[in-house]
Amino acid sequence: MNIVVAMKQIPDLQQIRIRNRQPILDDVPLTLGNIDKNGLEAGVNLRDELGGKVTVLLAGNENIEDTVKEALAAGADEAFLVIDDSLDRAESSVIANVLAASIKQMEEPSLILFGEGSGDNYSGQVGSRVAEILNLPQVSFASSIEIKGNQAVVTRSLEDGEEIVQVDLPAVIAVLADINEPRIPSVTQILKAGKKPKEVLELDELEVEAGKAMVITTSNLAPETERKRVVVKSVDELIQALTTEGYVGR
Amino acid sequence: MDFNLSKEQLLIQRMARDFAEKYIEPVAEQIDRENKIPDDILEGLAELDLFGIPFPEEYGGAGGGYDGYVLAMEQIGRVSGGIAMTLSAHSLGLSAISVFGNEEQKQKYMVPGCKGKHIVSFAFTEPGTGSDPKQITTTAVKDGDHYIINGTKRFISNANWPGAIILFARDDESGKPSGFIIDKGCEGYSISEPWDKMGMHGGMLLDVYLKDVRVPAENLLAGPGMGYPILQLGISFGKVGVSSTALGGMLAAYEEGLKYAKEKMHRDKPISRFQSVQLKIADMAIKYEAARWLTYRLGYLANNVKDPRQFAKEAALTKTFVCETAFEVTRLAMDIHGSYGLMNDYKISRLYRDTIIGPQIEGVADMQKMIVAGLTLAD
Ligand SMILES: Cc1cc2nc3c(=O)[nH]c(=O)nc-3n(C[C@H](O)[C@H](O)[C@H](O)COP(=O)(O)OP(=O)(O)OC[C@H]3O[C@@H](n4cnc5c(N)ncnc54)[C@H](O)[C@@H]3O)c2cc1C
Repeated sequence: MNIVVAMKQIPDLQQIRIRNRQPILDDVPLTLGNIDKNGLEAGVNLRDELGGKVTVLLAGNENIEDTVKEALAAGADEAFLVIDDSLDRAESSVIANVLAASIKQMEEPSLILFGEGSGDNYSGQVGSRVAEILNLPQVSFASSIEIKGNQAVVTRSLEDGEEIVQVDLPAVIAVLADINEPRIPSVTQILKAGKKPKEVLELDELEVEAGKAMVITTSNLAPETERKRVVVKSVDELIQALTTEGYVGR
Repeated sequence: MDFNLSKEQLLIQRMARDFAEKYIEPVAEQIDRENKIPDDILEGLAELDLFGIPFPEEYGGAGGGYDGYVLAMEQIGRVSGGIAMTLSAHSLGLSAISVFGNEEQKQKYMVPGCKGKHIVSFAFTEPGTGSDPKQITTTAVKDGDHYIINGTKRFISNANWPGAIILFARDDESGKPSGFIIDKGCEGYSISEPWDKMGMHGGMLLDVYLKDVRVPAENLLAGPGMGYPILQLGISFGKVGVSSTALGGMLAAYEEGLKYAKEKMHRDKPISRFQSVQLKIADMAIKYEAARWLTYRLGYLANNVKDPRQFAKEAALTKTFVCETAFEVTRLAMDIHGSYGLMNDYKISRLYRDTIIGPQIEGVADMQKMIVAGLTLAD
């Protein structure tokens, strides 16, 4: 089974410092979105179970050639990369056009996996848009995926319950963070990542009218937390205060 | 000059950090209390190739170089000094086989070691000396195509685990120390109860008794009388691990000190606003940064040793600085904690017991300085 996993390059959120409520992004190492890693893990597990290959798909600036090693170390078999500086800030519709055009160039995959939202902007649109462009069925909020013949049985975890749906393949599925625990790659896998096959295209080689819309962030302030400065003198008072604030005993 | 880590180096560092935080941290205190590393942690370390990072793939290693090794060991040492010490002593033994062993010895002893099926030991210290090879009293007497070994080795890391032990004994032919590869658990090999040392719990330290141990002559490492060069170069490689372990402990102490300074309140404000505490924070930052780059550099140098004497000097000066600084930083972080730091409930007390060990092992600090001075004056 051929599986494509789309992943986004983002700044390593753990290493971003905040100064004057603004994130400082200079020199922050790049990584892949956390939920995207769940998507990859789901794909790799299905491949291990059913055979086939996992192709990881990235669109972004030239650093993705290096960043993708992370996915190749964590079990992807090969990479398909579309490089252009403009893709860094491109809007979801543009990225969806680029990813869909890339997938059309591949041997037809049975499953296209996304994380439910990217680690930075979390627009949560790209998977659905790609499914629309490729005219494929789509399932979101997946917390488990099982392949049965030519269908996927997917559990969707929703706020008020779980839904189990069946979908014909090929399909687009967006996974949730709790679908699995992404593996930690070994030293050997890390060192072999750079040697796995990679197809690298410039955006203009893809011959797609991707659009030019960009995300312009006008403000990106960390939330200010107002401390209530409640002083208590005993555990009883603490419990009382927490109950009044609605933190316990709800 | 480029001080950026490559993507591969960053990933090795992150892998070790993720494993340490996710799997070791929850049991770090238990390891300290029980002086035992849980089996599933050892299995996890093996799966991630952490028993053989710097060694070539043809001998079961990961081919990650000593640069990858220092990065991973720092992260393991940050969470458990005992586990890092176990890996460090193991890698010291493997490095001796890697440099001085013949093809057969490498295949037989390195492969299971690098894969984490065996945990290797390196036995030099005796009750009489831990610094002076001339005073070694363990003997190896040639008997046909075997040697018969008798003696006692003291404070030997990992002596309880199955695998090879690189053991130094004075052989009767050359009259000099020679290195032997012995299977732990062979006839005549026995061990003491583990030493109840003050820190680095989980790292096992035992005495080894050798009573008429018969070792095939083919297990001699690099030929008779070669003990001294094996010791010198082997221990130089060992210092890469000891330095990284100390660096990890130092990083943990630095983080603990910083965290406490931000959290502990006096008159509604954190103690980090006191200049005296800020000076300690600055000292910790300066010392960690200096130690870090010295250690990373030693990893880089260990990848390509051209002149063993020069490398011995670099290893000795790095190990001395990093191990002594690790304890200094821990002391600073301890002072930031006040009396709370003395309580076993606070992590800094464990780090204090762990980092005090570095300066006393694999050659005490004074001996390191003698090596550095000797080689500097000879140049
Ligand atoms: C956690 C831990 C793990 C260890 N693991 C191992 C292991 O795996 N294998 C192993 O072989 N050993 C191991 N050891 C032992 C350790 O390496 C030795 O104990 C150490 O090298 C010091 O030897 P010593 O205690 O005999 O001290 P000594 O050599 O007796 O030194 C005592 C003091 O005398 C001074 N001194 C000694 N000789 C001279 C001299 N010529 N000139 C000037 N001053 C001198 C030293 O500076 C020192 O202050 C371990 C020890 C510990 C604590």
